[in-house]
Amino acid sequence: MEITGQDAELPEIRRRARVFALFAVFVFVIIACRLFYLQVIEGDAFYKLTSDSIIRTIVKPAVRGEIRDRKNRVLARMRPAANVSVLPREVTPESFDKLRTALALGPEDAADLWDRIQTDRTAAHDSPPRDRDHPLVVQEDISRAAQAVLEEAGQDLPGVKLEHTIRRDYPYGPIASHVLGYMNEISADELRAKKQESYRPGDLVGRVGIERQLEGYLRGRTGFQKVVVDRRGVPKTNIRDLVEGAIKQDPIPGNNVFLTLDMDLQKIAERAMRNANAGATVVVDVDTGRILAAVSKPDFDPNEMSGHLSSEAQARILADRFHPLKDKVLSETYFPGSTFKVVTALSALEDKLISPEEHTKCHGFFEIGRRRFKCTKTHGVVALYDAIVQSCNVYFYELGARPGMLDRLARFGTDMGLGAPSGLGMNGEEAGFIATEEWYREQKRLNPKNEGFQVGHALNAAIGQETRVTVLQMAMLYAAIANGGKLWLPQIVERIESPTGQVLEEFPPRVRRELSVSPENLAIVRQALVGVVNEPKGTAYKARPDDDLEVSGKTGTAQVRHMGKRGEPLSSYEQNDHAWFAGFAPSGHPRIAFAVLVEHGGHGGDVAAPVAMEITHGYFESVAPADRAAPHLGLPRRRPGRIVSSAMDDSLPGAAVPAPAPAEPAVAAAPVAPPAPADEPAEEARTP
Amino acid sequence: MMSSRAIAWRKLRFRFDWTLTLAMLAMVALGLVNLWSALQDRGPQLFSKQISLLAVGLGMFLVVAAFDYRAISRIGYLLYGAGAALLIAVLLFGRVVGGARRWFDLGPVHLQPSELMKVLIIVALGKYLNDSPALEGRTFKHMALPVGIVTLPVLLIARQPDLGTAFMIFLIFITVMLTARLKLKTLAAIMGMALISASPIWRYGLHEYQRKRVEALLNPDSAEAWQSRQALNAIGSGRFLGKGFLQATQIRIRRLPALWTDFPFAVWAEEWGFVGCLIVLAGYLVLILWTLKIASEARDRFGATVCVGVAAMLFWHVAVNVGMVTGVLPVVGVTLPLISYGGSSLLTIMAALGLVMNVSIRRFAY
Repeated sequence: MEITGQDAELPEIRRRARVFALFAVFVFVIIACRLFYLQVIEGDAFYKLTSDSIIRTIVKPAVRGEIRDRKNRVLARMRPAANVSVLPREVTPESFDKLRTALALGPEDAADLWDRIQTDRTAAHDSPPRDRDHPLVVQEDISRAAQAVLEEAGQDLPGVKLEHTIRRDYPYGPIASHVLGYMNEISADELRAKKQESYRPGDLVGRVGIERQLEGYLRGRTGFQKVVVDRRGVPKTNIRDLVEGAIKQDPIPGNNVFLTLDMDLQKIAERAMRNANAGATVVVDVDTGRILAAVSKPDFDPNEMSGHLSSEAQARILADRFHPLKDKVLSETYFPGSTFKVVTALSALEDKLISPEEHTKCHGFFEIGRRRFKCTKTHGVVALYDAIVQSCNVYFYELGARPGMLDRLARFGTDMGLGAPSGLGMNGEEAGFIATEEWYREQKRLNPKNEGFQVGHALNAAIGQETRVTVLQMAMLYAAIANGGKLWLPQIVERIESPTGQVLEEFPPRVRRELSVSPENLAIVRQALVGVVNEPKGTAYKARPDDDLEVSGKTGTAQVRHMGKRGEPLSSYEQNDHAWFAGFAPSGHPRIAFAVLVEHGGHGGDVAAPVAMEITHGYFESVAPADRAAPHLGLPRRRPGRIVSSAMDDSLPGAAVPAPAPAEPAVAAAPVAPPAPADEPAEEARTP
Repeated sequence: MMSSRAIAWRKLRFRFDWTLTLAMLAMVALGLVNLWSALQDRGPQLFSKQISLLAVGLGMFLVVAAFDYRAISRIGYLLYGAGAALLIAVLLFGRVVGGARRWFDLGPVHLQPSELMKVLIIVALGKYLNDSPALEGRTFKHMALPVGIVTLPVLLIARQPDLGTAFMIFLIFITVMLTARLKLKTLAAIMGMALISASPIWRYGLHEYQRKRVEALLNPDSAEAWQSRQALNAIGSGRFLGKGFLQATQIRIRRLPALWTDFPFAVWAEEWGFVGCLIVLAGYLVLILWTLKIASEARDRFGATVCVGVAAMLFWHVAVNVGMVTGVLPVVGVTLPLISYGGSSLLTIMAALGLVMNVSIRRFAY
């Protein structure tokens, strides 16, 4: 700094700065030449290329895959449809009038629509030019007649647009609606969440059931074609220069899904449930765990739910106190009531707490401490067989009072698939609930006001008023009892095929677990389940089939213990017990297992058993008559408990154990028809 | 006391460089007009943000012009060190945008220290050249420290990665050194080395996307060249007189990324045509030539070097940005001075012009 005044370098720096200035001018001249070339010499060419060009992307929707049942019948498909919309700025009163007559709009709807058109028309003035001609959908899926009228009118209807599309169609209407599900428009949130999956606003997505579960398989891939047009709509040829990326992509149709459902049986089951306000029934194949029919009542029509649901219909569905959208096969839990007694019986047998011939006396109640637990009636002396057949609570209370019974029931219940989702993986399957002593102690720790574990809990658990289950779990459990201890993973999808018929995925049956219960003990319980239906004192005897089909099962009448919230009194309907019936058929060679639940139906034997019988009857009559043939297990030999003498116990030790299936051929051959038998002869006939 | 202050004030007013200031303000105003058009209905908040940044920039311009630049020269290395520290910090704590760690997130403002570093390097170079005269012209042995001054930030910036900015710094450096009497033989040697190292850098030093951009330049029909093709369409379709204010449909409809930061010239060219482009180029040329004139009038090497450096910064930014937009150079993230949207670039350029103003005011000081 000191010698700044005489900086000898400065003149040379100045000279070089001038050179730099010349260089800068030179470069700028080159740039100007480049611009002159682009804008003046080639300018017109560029202008032509770009002037008013509009890129239109024409979406080519993929045809969604079909859903078919096991016999290849179409349950969900795409069909052609037509929608009508209007361009608010172009529609005239005359064309609107014609449109109104064609669609047979009521005066109120018409006035409403005209209002909307006017609103849109004024709004259009304030919106940017590109959004101005936004069509207003008047009606989706118009009738063929209306379509014909509008098509004929054609050019005379300015501002009215007829758009041909395809639409999801469920030919069976509400049948199996919870399994199939429905479709509706994707929400803005989902669009954001599924950015990677190329959904577009306005796309429909599967909502419940298979439509939702297998959305990825069914959907296919949307195609598109980009077209560049000028203001007059004339396509331009130099599309490559104007469009980024691919110009065209062909749509790929979705895959077809084949269900294990049998629509014949499904229809029979739906019909059998006709008197139930709300409830569920499911039928599974005993040898595969595949679901043959699944009914949840009340149902809904997926055709109505898909697309734009009228607000009126939506309000109706949401206000329905029977919750039609809920899949009561999987997504609702109930007390199993007496259908749970098989679990109690098996756990007691397996842990050798009882032998089948041990008996107890039922006075109509069971006292523990100062509490009295009621039975359905006074049964007198009962052994295990009678206790199941007549559904005697006292016998099971007595078991429940054994030390550690709650935890034992929890252990066996878990083993039999309760307390965890059965694994269908659909409709938000519920796990249910299994109480343990530890759980009650935990509750008390969390809140000292809770009473903690009491023996009463174990007593209630023994008769199925503690554990909560889904209808599907019960069907799987009874299927396991029927097939000798295989707890299957329930399945509803048999396979998925590509549009060309190639099998993409197949789902062979899968065993979830082998029950840790001996085949002998299962046989003992099975024999008792035969008695429930075929023994005159059996709780389902009145509902037994009037032909040679032998059905096994267990009734249940589950008390609705929870009172209304905030102490509201329950209506008399809501105080009614839930009616259950779970079992399998034919007894001698079980093919199907089922569980039927009628919410607030009352007594299981009176309400649920007839439904189950109608389903089994229908199945072996018209769906699979070949599977009907099976040896009759018949009724067991006279049981010690039935002869009111304890001395007989010792004298007939061998007879006490019922012969495990199958029964003797002689019995099977005898075409004994159970209908209306006098008690004694029927029993005599089966007593050697 | 009072009177001497009053005299100083009058001197300042007399010596205030109106040409520089007006040229700068003209470009800024032009940039605002263009930004309004580029944004249109999208993002009016960006426009008001740019306005407030401009106010800050003008403040900086005046503040930097007010202090005697010799004082700035004295703390030149300190400033440089602070800038380098910021560059290291941004690598550690910066925000990742589009795969590059270039920004500090300071609430409403994103600071890009690499932009700021350009000026600080110029100041540091000025200080070095001022402190070590070389009457015989500069050769390799005079290059050690300047190369060090430049290499550290270039490596740090390339690490972000932001090769565009790193390359700009290299160009500014070469220009400054050449003007500071670097011998041509030495330059030739440097160029030779650069050519030799070009191949390995191309193969190992570049990211995939960077290579693609260069290849896109050689192959204008490829998918990668889509961006530059849109810019070309826009510029070309502006023809001689342009489509008029707010009529630049071409660019906006295609949604060019980095439209406001890197491609504002395309919008301008489409709306104002060849004539408008000439006006912009002329504006820049006035700024650059005037800055070089101030460099020639400077009383010391620091003042001269800083002015040359700022002129080089302006020149290379304009040349590379316009070259990229007109499809002559590959697409690199280099802003158009005073016109591009973006705080760091704007503040840097205005601070740099403040320095020039500083030198201009004090050219009669001794």
